[in-house]
Amino acid sequence: MNLFRSEEHIARWLGPRKPGATIAVTKLAELAHAWWADRLAPEWTPHTRDENQAILDRLGLGGEFWRLPG
Amino acid sequence: MFVERARAPTVDEVAHATGRPAAEVADAWQRLHEAHALVLNRYRELRMLNPFSAVPTAYSVQAGGRSWYANCAWDAFGICAALHSDGRIEATCPDCGEPLIVDVRRGSPDRSDLLFHCLVPASQWWDDIVFT
Repeated sequence: MNLFRSEEHIARWLGPRKPGATIAVTKLAELAHAWWADRLAPEWTPHTRDENQAILDRLGLGGEFWRLPG
Repeated sequence: MFVERARAPTVDEVAHATGRPAAEVADAWQRLHEAHALVLNRYRELRMLNPFSAVPTAYSVQAGGRSWYANCAWDAFGICAALHSDGRIEATCPDCGEPLIVDVRRGSPDRSDLLFHCLVPASQWWDDIVFT
């Protein structure tokens, strides 16, 4: 789960490996906020699988790649 | 304690701070590890308290006059989100080694040219979370 300068750099870093998923850094910031903003709340409990899947879905991160294990 | 000290506490430190037996703290950590709420290393020490990393990584985050390591790019933004703080993320492009600096202001990065690549599908993230 890395940051890259461009698609070209991702492709070179991957080499023969199958690509995963690429999103803009702005979308990553949205994802991180939705996933972690409550992390230090005194009443925090780990998100459920469905709560996390709802975050991914809401941000348009759909498809099999972003499907959490049931 | 992790946030305040900018480093991972030990079992003994948490036991002392909470007044609980060390064995009880260690057992609680093990349960949290199994629930994917934190990650222990082979010595049952904290390796990850997501989004914070207990060991140096390629992603450092400065916020509020302190600094932490994040487990990955996602967690680097996650530290700012968890702290509800502006911050600076320092990393390098894994391909070319070029320094990448991102300032986070009110949750948003100050640049939009960078890309995030996730190699492992979500269904396999916890198969090997350190690799993920």
